[in-house]
Amino acid sequence: MDVGLGNFCSIEHWLNKSGLLSRRVSKVADFSDDAIIIPGVASAGEFMQRLNQSGMDKEIIKRAKSRQKIIGICLGFQILTNFSDEDGGVKCLGLLNGQTKYLRGAKTNNGWYPFNLDTRKIINNVHIPLHNKKKIKGRVFFNHELRVDLENSKDLHTSNLSNGITSFAFKENIFGFQFHPEKSQSTGRELLRLII
Amino acid sequence: MSFRVGSTLLLSKDCFALQSYNFNTKRILGSVENALHFLDEYEVDEIHVIVPLKGKSNFISSEVFSKLINIPISTPVTIGGGIQLKDLKILLKDPFFERIVFNSAIFDGDEVLNTVALLMGRQALIACMPFIIDNHKLLVYNSRLNKFISISQDLWRKINKIFNEIILLDANAEGTKRGFNFNALDLIQFPIDRTLISGGITNQDILNARKLGLAGVTIDNWVLHSESSVKGVYK
Repeated sequence: MDVGLGNFCSIEHWLNKSGLLSRRVSKVADFSDDAIIIPGVASAGEFMQRLNQSGMDKEIIKRAKSRQKIIGICLGFQILTNFSDEDGGVKCLGLLNGQTKYLRGAKTNNGWYPFNLDTRKIINNVHIPLHNKKKIKGRVFFNHELRVDLENSKDLHTSNLSNGITSFAFKENIFGFQFHPEKSQSTGRELLRLII
Repeated sequence: MSFRVGSTLLLSKDCFALQSYNFNTKRILGSVENALHFLDEYEVDEIHVIVPLKGKSNFISSEVFSKLINIPISTPVTIGGGIQLKDLKILLKDPFFERIVFNSAIFDGDEVLNTVALLMGRQALIACMPFIIDNHKLLVYNSRLNKFISISQDLWRKINKIFNEIILLDANAEGTKRGFNFNALDLIQFPIDRTLISGGITNQDILNARKLGLAGVTIDNWVLHSESSVKGVYK
């Protein structure tokens, strides 16, 4: 997704290093049926405004409902929720039931955390290709001041950090990461190979 | 959250990696591409790419930093050095970095700092504070004035409000392994768990910094120069 905001280049490097092809999509007519990545490193208000103006918000929702894989990273994860408190409050895509809020006490969360994922322990409606690797153990990089709070549901798989922050959430074809897999070195590349 | 061991990569205005000694002498290390690739391979926790500026300058930071966008690394990056509002407009179109480090803006750059906070979030703001200690008093370098000055209570309050983290750079120890002057930590008014230290860092300093609960260390030269790995420095 290219709305003129976000760290596309870092994401392209991440994809290229993992041997995957990518192209930037900046209007509705450019969409294909491949996985869609919504980038981070921007603010929700401006990003959603550009999505709305281009009509890409409705297109993403439509494609998500038709089971196309959607991957949101950091801000891209936050705007998958119903609403974000950033920029005075922003209506978001509503693909994950929940809200994005500022971390308590005007805090931020920066740094590396351990990451463990065993796909055999994930509910089986999540669209992870069967042939892919089953386990990842490494570390991932966080850099954010808002957190995603999701409502529990039986078709949602989430993982939280020890401080309660949602690290990632999977729901069928929707994949949201609060951390930056594209800046998480070898763990980030393993993760990409697992979900795509 | 983990203690971080990062590296500072100094960059010349013509985009070469630099080595700096004692905040004074500089020599060219080589290509910035190679330096960034090495640091990425070493899996340092973060890389601070900084163009060191002294005094007033016509330097356009976006021209230099834009050249780094095509270097494929997967390590978190901070950039810094002469970044102004007009540079932000260019650099934030496709940021290959997650954070920005400021020095002279600490003293008089409210507009650029507020813009970064608005567009990238407060987590993106780091204050770079090279220091010397003179007669038990902390003096912090202001690159625009090209001199070390004291920090008022009001300015410390502003730093606390605006910046997410600070990097304390021991100017006298920079480029050496003589050890960071930990006395500086008694002279700052900023949370220690959001403070990174740099300059003269030794293996013992890294252990001490961890024990004290600092956010991390930034090793200025010897990750590159001594072929040290992050795993190596923990030994």
